[in-house]
Amino acid sequence: MTTQTLAETGQVKRAISLRSVLNNAGIGLALLALILFFSVFTEHFLTANNITNILTQITINLILAVGMTFVILIGGIDLSVGSVMAFAAVVAGKAITLPGFGPAEAIALAVVAATMTGVLCGVFNGVISAYWALPSFIITLGMLNIARGAALQVSDAQTIYAFPIAFEEFGSAMIYGVPVVFIVALLLVLVAWFVLNYTVFGRLLYGIGNNEEAVRLAGHPVFWYKVAAFTICGFTAGIAAIVYMARLNISSPIAGIGFELNAIAAVIIGGTSLSGGRGSVIGTLLGAIIIGVLANGLILIGLSDFMRQMITGIVIVFAVILDHYRAKYTAK
Amino acid sequence: MAAADFDAAPATPSPQQAFLAVEGLKKHFGGVKALDSVSFSLKQGEVHALVGENGAGKSTLIKILSGVFAYDAGQIHLDGAAYQPASPHDAKISGVQVVHQEFNLLDHLSIAENISIEKLPRTRLGLLDKKELNRRAVTALEAIGLTDIDVRAPIASLGIAHRQLVEIARALQSRSRILILDEPTATLTKRETERLFEIVESIKADGVTVVFVSHHLDEVFRICDRVTVFRNGKTIATDLISDTSPEGVVHRMVGRRLEAQIAEGHETLSLGPVALGVQDLRTAANPKPTGVTFDLHYGEIVGIAGLVGAGRTEILRGIFGMDPIQSGRILRDEKEVRFKGPGDAIASGLGFVTEDRKGEGLVLDMPIAANSSMANIASVSNLGLIKFAEENRQARDAGAKLKLKYGDTADPASSLSGGNQQKVVLAKWLVRNPKVLLLDEPTRGVDVGAKAEIYAILKGLAREGVALLVVSSEMPELMTLSDRILVLSDHEIQGELKRPEFSEENILKLAYGRSEQAGGLTQ
Amino acid sequence: MKLLKIAAGAVSGLAMLAGTAMADDKPVVGLIMKSLANEFFQNMMVGAEAHQEKRGDYELLAVGMQNETDFESQINAVENFITQGVDAIVVAPADSRAMVRPLKKAMDAGIVVVNFDVALDEEAKKQRGVELAFVGPDNRGGAKLAGDALGKKLGEGGKVVIIEGNPGADNATQRRLGFEDSVAEYKLDLLDSRTAHWETEEANSVFSNMLTAHPDIQGVMAANDSMAIGVVKALESAGRDDILVVGFDNIPAVGPMIEDGRMLATVDQFGTDMAANAIDLALEVVNGGPELEGWVKTPIELVTAD
Repeated sequence: MTTQTLAETGQVKRAISLRSVLNNAGIGLALLALILFFSVFTEHFLTANNITNILTQITINLILAVGMTFVILIGGIDLSVGSVMAFAAVVAGKAITLPGFGPAEAIALAVVAATMTGVLCGVFNGVISAYWALPSFIITLGMLNIARGAALQVSDAQTIYAFPIAFEEFGSAMIYGVPVVFIVALLLVLVAWFVLNYTVFGRLLYGIGNNEEAVRLAGHPVFWYKVAAFTICGFTAGIAAIVYMARLNISSPIAGIGFELNAIAAVIIGGTSLSGGRGSVIGTLLGAIIIGVLANGLILIGLSDFMRQMITGIVIVFAVILDHYRAKYTAK
Repeated sequence: MAAADFDAAPATPSPQQAFLAVEGLKKHFGGVKALDSVSFSLKQGEVHALVGENGAGKSTLIKILSGVFAYDAGQIHLDGAAYQPASPHDAKISGVQVVHQEFNLLDHLSIAENISIEKLPRTRLGLLDKKELNRRAVTALEAIGLTDIDVRAPIASLGIAHRQLVEIARALQSRSRILILDEPTATLTKRETERLFEIVESIKADGVTVVFVSHHLDEVFRICDRVTVFRNGKTIATDLISDTSPEGVVHRMVGRRLEAQIAEGHETLSLGPVALGVQDLRTAANPKPTGVTFDLHYGEIVGIAGLVGAGRTEILRGIFGMDPIQSGRILRDEKEVRFKGPGDAIASGLGFVTEDRKGEGLVLDMPIAANSSMANIASVSNLGLIKFAEENRQARDAGAKLKLKYGDTADPASSLSGGNQQKVVLAKWLVRNPKVLLLDEPTRGVDVGAKAEIYAILKGLAREGVALLVVSSEMPELMTLSDRILVLSDHEIQGELKRPEFSEENILKLAYGRSEQAGGLTQ
Repeated sequence: MKLLKIAAGAVSGLAMLAGTAMADDKPVVGLIMKSLANEFFQNMMVGAEAHQEKRGDYELLAVGMQNETDFESQINAVENFITQGVDAIVVAPADSRAMVRPLKKAMDAGIVVVNFDVALDEEAKKQRGVELAFVGPDNRGGAKLAGDALGKKLGEGGKVVIIEGNPGADNATQRRLGFEDSVAEYKLDLLDSRTAHWETEEANSVFSNMLTAHPDIQGVMAANDSMAIGVVKALESAGRDDILVVGFDNIPAVGPMIEDGRMLATVDQFGTDMAANAIDLALEVVNGGPELEGWVKTPIELVTAD
């Protein structure tokens, strides 16, 4: 009763603007503060080379986190992205090193192989968890093992190497000091942002995250939307695999262990609610940058590895507390 | 809190003397006045009703009395001393207990554990004293006349009515002086409600003051001694029940005469052809070999009455393709249809206002505009891209038509009052121009004013030729809206009533069918 | 096909059932490996199987682990082998302390135990009264070989960084100590030392950041080749060809890098043969040879372009 009284008079509007401040400006401010801190306390942080480094280093996590945003927005989680990335990389590595193809064909084949592998894993995650209404946490935990095992099986646990030169060059190419692979990631962010904000599909994903039943009763095929969200997540894992291969010029079946947690961290720090329905991919971009800046800056100021890990953990906890207050402001 | 804490409370004052007095109470949330000068008093051993539309301030007052909120201005005196509980615990020590609409029970713990959760008995070794725990629970339940319950069973095994009684037993265990029951009958059947009233009578006889919050005036007039009416954060008046009438109370509540509007004469229209035919439809919940058969014409409002569990909601869900049906046929414009899901039903011109507004009807956190376009998003989008201007225009048009009170179409649906939320659910379907509209409890949790408006909207739709099928537990609602009422009992249509035959008595006779078991029509 | 066998082996209990072909009098050797997801152990396993086929006078039961820290499955494997009544257990312990107690139990049951790859902890052995030889490479000595190669090139005062393996892992510690020995001997200037968890991608990031902090780095010592690859890639993207990199393990992928000078050196500890050699030693004891004593060092070799 109280909430309704409050609501009728614009209290809610204020709460909403406060929420959006917390949502976006808050993360942006935190990022600015970090950048300022590292600029003052380290000599190399704010140099062109270092910024290039950071952008390169966050690329894979950002790509995975974009897909993860879709899944978390519908109230799911995908723990398998790290393993799926490794699996996709191994399949693509096998494809790209097949004899009898020119470099262009081999690269095209690898891109198709990686994305298709990711998509298939995503479809599996989506169909199983949506059809039987099972918690995606469990299903994707299964996929984490399936994909990792498959990666080891396909590669015989060997690192695959010797890729076409053009492919390796793509991984280290720059445009005005901006890594091309980061531009790829940024394009994915923009496409995701557009899809989530301007399309019926995006609107309904938010709707599903908030109240799946209401969307179902409005006649929408919720099942397929959920499958699509997981498929997108698998697709981005495939793209991440291509970037991984291009950057490091190898396909390792043990690549990407723990990457899922970094991707989830980027999404959560970016202000997307783990319970779904609320958040944005722009926040995810900022979240990934914060993680990258922390990892880079803390090395530059000479902090030990263990302290680095602790601080990253503290940031995640802090982000979740912030999320709690965001949720409270929306509820009021 | 231990019962012992309260044993030391001051001697109870003599009956009929006001021992709790609230004067000029004010409470603001931000810039919003939730309570604006509230005054009322409680007497020892009375049952005092608080009534008013949603948002009138009843809940805020309860929360202040029970120590959840602090107040900004005004005074509360308990036994002549200033009363300003800092927490619910404080309030309990002073003997003020609330049984909320949403229960505070732990589903997987036993009844006994729930009853003693505030202070679990321990053995000398500091372990949980199960014997004492169960003994206390049995005593507490016996005090309200419940003797046939295994206190070791988990709460989850109880029905809603029993859960509520457990809450009451828990509250009374610590010797309440004031027991506040917030909408206690909203989820009870008639028989359960009767039982609750008996318990209220016995509590009252023990000298406990009961504050009874309810939307149901018949209940208020059944068991209350006095009634205080709230409107817009103010107390309008306190009357002795014996000095007033339901009409008088409604008049105070809404500040204008609405009942005439509700009871407005029903024009009999010429009916169109059959819009929806249902033949021998058996839902998955129906254990019997026979199903239900009826026709719904364009321009007609057909009501479905029946007891809870009679299978009313299931029929609507079955027609709409939400739940699979066992057998039977559904005809749309006299052609057989098979809806694989809500999408098919919607495509065929159906709409469904479900009973669970928050769980099924609305996406509360999303804007009003997004909610109203939820079922009609194709019309405000092109190639999968949303046309926001179009969507907002559609929402504003629907809002104007439904007299929706809202700030901005970008505000979340959760910012609206219950009645206005329900209008958004209606808007969601009306923007599609449905040919057949199914409605399940269309005015649940909606205040009197908004109720009348919704009735007018539904009747308007019928005049425009829409076929409406309404399920409701409120007989006056069905009798106001319907051209015909089908009475359902145990998944079978027991009979059909035409307008001249409408009466609660006739409906009940059919609803109880052959089985003579007692029960309630209200859920 | 062979991988299927290994996969079955990982589910140790099942493998035990499959291995009951002990009716013939061939001695049975139980081989307990670390994570077969690791290329190094994968190759070692392949080597052991080839060895078994070649010798043909013993039965081989092999068990691997889910991951590097899955101690439990190694302990279970020892216990299963005891029940099984194998003649010898050849084990690469995942943890140098956790494995002492179960292995003591095996020895008490009369099973010949050979410890290879990673040495059991001396203290823990003493505490349990276990006398057990160690067959394996000298990780510290090997790392020093690589470090020395770098030290010779750079000379006194050369600025270097170390990329470490998993913190807490014994071979990671030994390799770091070996690198540090070289740093001390050649009076190198150690600018930074950080873990990249054996991982290529992480080594790439970590080293890029180190390079930003210390642009004057002249040499990098990576505790394995996977990380060395990450370092080489970071140098390529930074456009630096003046920094020397040494690694460890001699995995195939670094072959071309050493040839074209992107890497200075790596160390081969002949991992493929390591398990096979340990099995040979175990069989000698089973066939009545003398007990092994102390540290039976296996060969290590510095690999350079020359």
